[in-house]
Amino acid sequence: MNQQPNSTLNRRAFLVRTGWLAAGTTVLTGCSSIIPALPSTKDPVAEDGLAWIQIMPDGRVRFYCPRMEMGQGAPLGLTQIVAEELNVGQEAIDCITPATDQVPPFKMTVGSEGVSQFAEPLARASAQLREALRARAAGKLGVPPAKVADATGGFAGPDGSVLAYGTIAGQSGFSILEADMSAKPKPADRHHTVGQRWRHPDLQAIVTGQMTYSRDIVVEGMAYGDVLRPPAFGAELLRADADKARAMEGVVAVVIDEGDNFVGIVTENPFILDAALHAIQADWSRPAAADPVQTLDADKPWDEDDFEHEILSDGSIQAGRDEATDHLSHRYDTPFAAHAAMEPRAAIAKVSGGKAEIWCGSQDPYFVRGRVCRVVGLDEDDVVVHPHRMGGGFGGRVPCQASEEAARLSAAVGRPVRVQWDRETEFRHNYFQPAFSHRIAAGIDGSGRIRYWDHGFVSSPIIFGLVPKPLSYILDLFVADEGTARGATLPYAPPSRRVRYSDVRTQVPTGSWRGLGAAPNTFAIESMVDELAAEARMDPLAFRLQNLPKDQGRLAAVLQTVARDADWGRPQPASIGMGIAGAIYKGETYAAIVAKVSVDRAAETIRVNHVWCAQDCGRVVNPDQVESQIAGNIAWGCSMALKEQVPFDGGQLDVSNFDGYDVLRHDDAPNISITLIDPAKAAPSGVGESAFGPVAAAIANAVFAATGHRFRKLPITYDDIVPATAS
Amino acid sequence: MFELNGTPTTVPAHLRDATLLDFIREIAGLTGTKYGCGQGLCGACTVHIDGDAARACQTRISDVDGRKVTTIEGLAATTADAGLHPVQQAWITASVPQCGYCQPGQIMAAAALLKANPDPSDDDIRDGMAGNICRCGTYPRIRQAIKIAAGKG
Ligand code: FES
Ligand code: FES
Repeated sequence: MNQQPNSTLNRRAFLVRTGWLAAGTTVLTGCSSIIPALPSTKDPVAEDGLAWIQIMPDGRVRFYCPRMEMGQGAPLGLTQIVAEELNVGQEAIDCITPATDQVPPFKMTVGSEGVSQFAEPLARASAQLREALRARAAGKLGVPPAKVADATGGFAGPDGSVLAYGTIAGQSGFSILEADMSAKPKPADRHHTVGQRWRHPDLQAIVTGQMTYSRDIVVEGMAYGDVLRPPAFGAELLRADADKARAMEGVVAVVIDEGDNFVGIVTENPFILDAALHAIQADWSRPAAADPVQTLDADKPWDEDDFEHEILSDGSIQAGRDEATDHLSHRYDTPFAAHAAMEPRAAIAKVSGGKAEIWCGSQDPYFVRGRVCRVVGLDEDDVVVHPHRMGGGFGGRVPCQASEEAARLSAAVGRPVRVQWDRETEFRHNYFQPAFSHRIAAGIDGSGRIRYWDHGFVSSPIIFGLVPKPLSYILDLFVADEGTARGATLPYAPPSRRVRYSDVRTQVPTGSWRGLGAAPNTFAIESMVDELAAEARMDPLAFRLQNLPKDQGRLAAVLQTVARDADWGRPQPASIGMGIAGAIYKGETYAAIVAKVSVDRAAETIRVNHVWCAQDCGRVVNPDQVESQIAGNIAWGCSMALKEQVPFDGGQLDVSNFDGYDVLRHDDAPNISITLIDPAKAAPSGVGESAFGPVAAAIANAVFAATGHRFRKLPITYDDIVPATAS
Repeated sequence: MFELNGTPTTVPAHLRDATLLDFIREIAGLTGTKYGCGQGLCGACTVHIDGDAARACQTRISDVDGRKVTTIEGLAATTADAGLHPVQQAWITASVPQCGYCQPGQIMAAAALLKANPDPSDDDIRDGMAGNICRCGTYPRIRQAIKIAAGKG
């Protein structure tokens, strides 16, 4: 257990183990002598699952869930999978978030993969455990295993007597670490648990205020720490004078490492922390910075015909141009965006005696462990991370920087230290969703068929956004960031198509944000498709259906379903419009959205009144959780369409709290209707990000239907609409 | 001195300038009330002061002298029967929470809203709850839960 790469393990083996080769980093081998701690990206296999499930002596099932809970409910869905195979009810299974020393490392919790990637391995592992238990039961009963039937919480012998798991497991409990993996999970038609609306076991604790997030943890003897962080991108610490702070009552220590830009303080209580921190006089360099939004400008590489990566090329764009009768070329832009999870991150570290313990919330506790090891110079076997439920993740909590800060301070003072970020730090010192800038040129023929589609865009690396220098220099030469390109290939199939992009770094740190590139890319694609429909004077739904190839039946089905639900095509009063958009997420989940918007001239607002969604995400493990996720996706889509934008001033962040970064609130949240298409045969696919992509385009398309004004740049604001409609 | 969930609570003199939020979290050890922004912008820290919703991050501990403060931990006890407050119960019925972090604040805001307006319209709920951000986007279920608690679900 817990075999970790050490210095003798070569880099290639390391990258294979952590799954990075699959992400396209083969070129790294031999290029760099510095392999930083990287998030774990190795996909789970059924054998991994054996370590996650145990039968306790009392017959209960203990499930060490390999997914972090931050609101997506994947641990609940996976609990249902285990319970299904082991024939137990919800009251007989405990879902536990394991500490890093309790199970071997597993993949970080990202990409809506909780159920889609883990359900099958977990079902298979659970089936192995069930059959091993059956064999034991058969031994106890003295009958062949085939004569031992499934029963709730155990098995029934030929005479009908029930042998409970507790009896079979005995005093030491029961688990298997090896199996021939021959046992088969139940077929879908025998499911009694999968597909049920199990309630999340944490509901009661959440509504009574008993749920523990990282900020809520108290460790005996704990002191309070905070850090002076660089005031600008690229700022370096020039000088720090802490005499005044050191003299203050209650200050335990000031920790300064000028070479590493680190200025931290530890105090006895939280009430003096802020004053003591700001009593430190620190001078920082102020590097000049270009406007990052202007750096990410699609028209530069477009005009020079020079994009770094080509991800799709069918037919000849020139031939398509010759065949088309109408041509459009438009630019679409989305801004830098923040995660703005409601819980600013926090951590407690206890570093002493050559060991460390960390309490925090992270989408990848093993990555946090690796980073802490580097900060305090310990081996991974000597560091344990206790992960906690997060108050939102959305891709922004792969690292937990507060853990590293707390570990450093704890090591310096020899006491447990809690570091809790405030909202300003959360807004300014994490990474961001990069801005996207697109240019799409496309044309249709006289019967409304798209003949060519030429799409080029510029943004920043997302999956590799977190990779530090100097590794990033090498990576960027060879690797096309798949996160940036997520959702960039259109589902429609004109005879000539080309999609190209460049992933360019600016001074703004970038990384994963809900859906990665999917929402910005879908906004551009589904806006342009709508513009082509208008150009063809066709209904936007009919235009889409006509241009979808035959093998996109599942996308066509969700578009038709959502249109039916929304009574698509019914004439709307003036100032009200309906818009439609659809997308396929990660090649597996099909979502279509209709938005209904109204323009309220008296209140000078654009209101999204209602959003309909139809989604096909394969077999639905827990409809309650899936619908909840879709509601969240719709809220994110409305927020992206109407609110969110990271402001910059002189190339530096100009935001510190929610007054500078607007997100969707109750008063702007639309009513929603959801239809889940549950196809009989398809395996469950991801739902945490899938419905988000098409929402902003559906809203922009609805605003066009209501006003004739086409928004090609987000966020949509009422003020921008006036000139177009006044004329 | 003030009453915290029914318990008389003394404030040490050196902490009188602390916020109510820091006091209840760090001194009283009641961590159900959450920090989200520290500037009155998000509602995560909503508590009741003498029955009205208030932002604990914008309230100095000296301002609650002689008053009754109720946090999410004490909400259930403000109702006649044992068990949960009807708003908490409705939150479970409607399966509202995702990450859950904003929910204590949402529940405290909703309980105060319903006390002032036992039969709120959709727009009353939208406006009355606009100060409480839920980044996970549970707004439709919150509206549903408030209607359940109002007896109209
Ligand atoms: S923490 Fe008080 S309103 Fe946000
Ligand atoms: S449930 Fe996550 S912020 Fe509201």
